[in-house]
Amino acid sequence: MIENQITASSSGRNRNLLKPVVYLGVIIIVALLPLFVKSPYMIHIFIMTLIYIIAAASLRTITISGQMPLAHAAFMGIGGYTAAMLAKWLGVSPWLCLIAGALLAMIISGFIGFPFARLRTIYYTMVSLFFGTAVLSVIFTMGKWTGSYSGLTGVPGLFSMSSSKIPYFYVILGICIVCLFALWRFENCRIGLSWKAISQSYMVASSVGINEVWYRVMALVVGSFFAGLAGALYAHYNFTLSYTTFNLGATLWLFMYVLVGGLNSFAGPILGTAILFIIPEMFRDLKSYVPFVSAVILLGVVYAMPQGLVGLPQLIRSWYKHKERTGKGAVDAT
Amino acid sequence: MLLEVKGLTKQFGGLTAVNSFDMYVKPLEIVGLIGPNGAGKSTVFNLVTGVYPSTRGTVIFDGKDISHTKPHIAASLGIGRTFQLNPLFADFTVQENVSASFHLHPRSRLWDIYFNTPIYRKNEAYIKEQSLEILKVVGLEKVKDELAKNLPHGYQKMLGVARALATRPKLLMLDEPLGGMNPSEIEFSLNAIRKMRQEGKTILIVEHNMQILDLCDRVVVISFGQKICEGLPKEVRENKDVISAYFGGEHAA
Repeated sequence: MIENQITASSSGRNRNLLKPVVYLGVIIIVALLPLFVKSPYMIHIFIMTLIYIIAAASLRTITISGQMPLAHAAFMGIGGYTAAMLAKWLGVSPWLCLIAGALLAMIISGFIGFPFARLRTIYYTMVSLFFGTAVLSVIFTMGKWTGSYSGLTGVPGLFSMSSSKIPYFYVILGICIVCLFALWRFENCRIGLSWKAISQSYMVASSVGINEVWYRVMALVVGSFFAGLAGALYAHYNFTLSYTTFNLGATLWLFMYVLVGGLNSFAGPILGTAILFIIPEMFRDLKSYVPFVSAVILLGVVYAMPQGLVGLPQLIRSWYKHKERTGKGAVDAT
Repeated sequence: MLLEVKGLTKQFGGLTAVNSFDMYVKPLEIVGLIGPNGAGKSTVFNLVTGVYPSTRGTVIFDGKDISHTKPHIAASLGIGRTFQLNPLFADFTVQENVSASFHLHPRSRLWDIYFNTPIYRKNEAYIKEQSLEILKVVGLEKVKDELAKNLPHGYQKMLGVARALATRPKLLMLDEPLGGMNPSEIEFSLNAIRKMRQEGKTILIVEHNMQILDLCDRVVVISFGQKICEGLPKEVRENKDVISAYFGGEHAA
């Protein structure tokens, strides 16, 4: 018994050290991927995964403040179309366009955030859904510049010279890591504590002096900034934009990544996005069944692992412990 | 005068929940606001702390008119409160509940929080130490690492008090601190309130449990949204109007 306690406490101390090591290991493995995977198509999938990891992680940042917005892909769209139009029609440097797209998404979310923060739960979700639709309508009405239904083509890329995808991979990997670290810091300081407090009880949170409206808008603004950045990266990587990338369906896919990975953990959206992007590629013949397969994965995860895929090790550990204990019990009985 | 309520009125549609209600709280006083169920006690609380906007009347706290302020402003001015149904940060541990409530004093700037500056780290260390101190006052230091939702009801009520204390209130407003408690929990809570009294806190208590009277310096009785009596606990207990409000007119005879 005492022995158990000692090992438990020492492993707890090691875990503090273990986590950064694991993260560093994952980053190194991902950075080395192009050495092993030569297929340009798979590199393309990895790059798209990295872009959508930023989007899904920023969506989760908004949800920890207790808001469930259905306009996240629309904020990606604001960032994406802003960057694409500035670069294509005005010839602005794509690197500046990335920042401009992210900033515009952030500013617009700040404007809509205050009226939206008067609503909670399903009403908030509904209004954000309408906002997402409104963004699409703006894209259609500005068809001369946005390409309307047929999409915007000929967006300048980040690198004008090379046609290789490898530079994109490393640049986007770098941006992704910086974004994730920035979002992680938001969650793991007093700001994140206040967001979580609001989401659990806005009554109590405001009774201890937390300005509910201000903190909810802050979560939305932070999330939208990174969504806009992800959208702008998407535009400058794919050279073409289509409204279908930013509609309600796209937002629901983002939610899917977050839910499958685990809503309550920072690693959740990262893991969820990676798995739901890469698994379909392994069964490419079955591509038309991807929505069904993903739905089955989602249902399975929600049913068997309420914490998402991130909770899997914990689940296995507790199952193993349970089995060990019952096993021991049987031995004692004999 | 720390808190002064004048002519406070609240109408929900056609129902007048509180009708031109007056009361005051002096510094270092413990005031009880009692009355039968549905008398409007909690509504007065919610009007004072800004949860509901009042229909008419003024609330003056510490020299400032707070009739139309939001709850978080009322908290920042120095009103700490608990709730009758006692909502919690259910998925936080007990200690996290208290440390999340240290939002006002000390207050770190967003810049300092995000970039983890020495000021922020110093503040967080202070908060950690102070939240343990507060948990000792309310007797929860043994369960500080439990999730709040797993605590027994009496402990959850005391956690609400701990949270209110973390805002460093000038006035502590307790909404039914004894509600739904068993006798041993009641004894425990009364002791904790006595302890806070010795520390020189100003407290306004809403309760319909008459046991709370022994602790109060002064008692205000409300029934059907109106003040029917005010005075020392002993006087109130013998007042005919109060007895008939609690037990019905027949009983008083």
